[in-house]
Amino acid sequence: MHYEIEASGRVRHVTVTRLGGGFAVSVDGRLHQVDAARIDAHTLSLIVDNMWQRDTVITPESSGRLVVLAGAVPVAVRPNGRRGGGRRQGGGAAGSGPLRIVAPMPGKVVRVLVKAGDAIRARQPVVVVEAMKMENELRADRDGTVAEIHTREGMSVEAGALLVVIQ
Amino acid sequence: MKKILIANRGEIAVRIGRACREMGISPVAVYSECDRTALHVRLADEAYAIGGSAPRDSYLRIDRILEAAKKSGADAVHPGYGFLAEQEAFARAVRDAGLTFIGPTPEAIAGMGSKTAGRAAAVRARVPVVPGTPDSIPAAISDRELEELARALGYPVLVKAVSGGGGKGMRTVLNPEDLVDAVRAARSEADAAFGDAAVYLERRLTRPRHIEVQVLGDQFGAVLPFVERECSIQRRHQKVVEETPSVAVTPALRRSLAAAAAAVARAGGYTNAGTVEFLLDEDGQFFFLEMNTRLQVEHPITEMVTGLDLVQWQIRIARGERLDLDPDAFLTPRGHAIECRIYAEDPDNHFLPSPGRIVALRAPAGPGIRDDSGATSGLDVPIFYDPMISKLIAWAEDRPHAIARMRRALGEYVVAGIKTTLPFFTWLLEQPEFAAGRFHTTFLDELLASRNGRPFVEPTPAVEEVAVMAAALQAMLSPGARAAGTAGSTVEGGMARWKDQARLEGLEGLEGLSRLALRD
Repeated sequence: MHYEIEASGRVRHVTVTRLGGGFAVSVDGRLHQVDAARIDAHTLSLIVDNMWQRDTVITPESSGRLVVLAGAVPVAVRPNGRRGGGRRQGGGAAGSGPLRIVAPMPGKVVRVLVKAGDAIRARQPVVVVEAMKMENELRADRDGTVAEIHTREGMSVEAGALLVVIQ
Repeated sequence: MKKILIANRGEIAVRIGRACREMGISPVAVYSECDRTALHVRLADEAYAIGGSAPRDSYLRIDRILEAAKKSGADAVHPGYGFLAEQEAFARAVRDAGLTFIGPTPEAIAGMGSKTAGRAAAVRARVPVVPGTPDSIPAAISDRELEELARALGYPVLVKAVSGGGGKGMRTVLNPEDLVDAVRAARSEADAAFGDAAVYLERRLTRPRHIEVQVLGDQFGAVLPFVERECSIQRRHQKVVEETPSVAVTPALRRSLAAAAAAVARAGGYTNAGTVEFLLDEDGQFFFLEMNTRLQVEHPITEMVTGLDLVQWQIRIARGERLDLDPDAFLTPRGHAIECRIYAEDPDNHFLPSPGRIVALRAPAGPGIRDDSGATSGLDVPIFYDPMISKLIAWAEDRPHAIARMRRALGEYVVAGIKTTLPFFTWLLEQPEFAAGRFHTTFLDELLASRNGRPFVEPTPAVEEVAVMAAALQAMLSPGARAAGTAGSTVEGGMARWKDQARLEGLEGLEGLSRLALRD
């Protein structure tokens, strides 16, 4: 079985072969002997080359990423060929494309702090969403111009709802 | 007292239920629509639905809570913290219904409960207070009058909700031009959280520590102050780490703080459990901040170093027992205790709330560890309430050992499916300033602002490689998880063989496979 899995922005080529009682797993050519024991539907206990024992809890995110808790350390990975196409959620793409500010959790929009055409700076608050009794400021990650506003004050929004697009 | 209705939810409702059981008292739960499967319901003897998920439709509905108390035949009501805990009207309604309110009298709540009333009681007790407006700001105040009030106090000022707590309805204002917006935001947040939009202004001291003193008062006039708690590690005015004793408090200062706390409580005619909060400035001067007329979130650390069960004492005081305890024993801490408040928030994304389903949960245990939690695996963390899911408490013989123990416990704690502040605490406890005990109430906000946005816990290349292997193995071995693979049919075949193997072992379903190694 061959997989391409992205972590820290780098694609790793992974090959898994059953070997004796366990697995031979190659990551970018480095070969490991892995004993994998299932703990529950999300959890595998891995013993890698006898040297690394970690409980790993694997949970999917709505964006198509997986969060792997390796011991107490969360690692975000992205399996190639994920469903849902190339649309990114949860804060928008880096670089020069449009920046999509989306609601990271369900809640109520209490303030829209920008209007279409506004020039904004990185880290400037754009929308305030109330959830769990706190007002949360959503900020732009980089400089830009407000291109589209898809929300208004008082609107209830679901997680992932598009609020503002910045060019 | 045979049956107590717990007018709360989450970890504190669980904790109060435990005290009830240990005293042979039956705990009665109430729950909102989204809390049907919450742990506090599942651990109770009886449970009553009291309405919709929004607090205004359930946990703030005095009428429905009293109706549930009547139906259940409870003799007393414990309000926990938050929701109705500090509302005079609730304490009064409980009393008028012929039930015992486990907390102070409505008169004491009125006399101490609001931040402005508490300040007046401290002045009567001749305890110094932080400079501020004596009353709440009129709702119809003009922007200009507001700016004059703030200028008279001197910037920076704090806008604080009169009925506030937990940092909600509070804003720091550094510059006059931000004042009007800050007051408006604090009012709307306070109204949503406490049903009271009133706010007042207070001058912000420079780099103070937050030191508080737990008190217990019985119905016969005895007031017992405890060893202090230090709660200076705050994020946006919300306590995130508490410890006792404080590294900044000498035995002499401890006696002064205790005497001041007891004097304030007596001035307010206080009974049952409460907490007197102080700010301690860099010169060792302390100022009364406010009194909380309820059980505090952080009460467990006091229990750990004194050996007392504060919730059981709340119940004993409410049923008329005397506080016949040796006062000196509670001013001399045994060892050191630290609490971390574990929140359903994403620390790597501006601490935004992270509600959702907990798919895996493993709480730490072992020597000196206490996990006061309201969460279980399979539970949905709702968006309607405070995002705290657990309080992790570590006790050891001294502070360095308590820190080491907390770090060990944080490493054991697994919560998957939602983001939590666990990685943030792992990072915080590694900070040299924390280890040295050099902090103040804005220490954490300043430290966070100076960070470069890197994740709180960063995987090493080796850990990253383990995670990549885990993702590949999960894709290959899990039912339905074939999206990542390029040889789907082989996965299906592998899964079928695996299931056959499980059947041979006489196991059924996924749960039964838990201890079965994934081997051919």
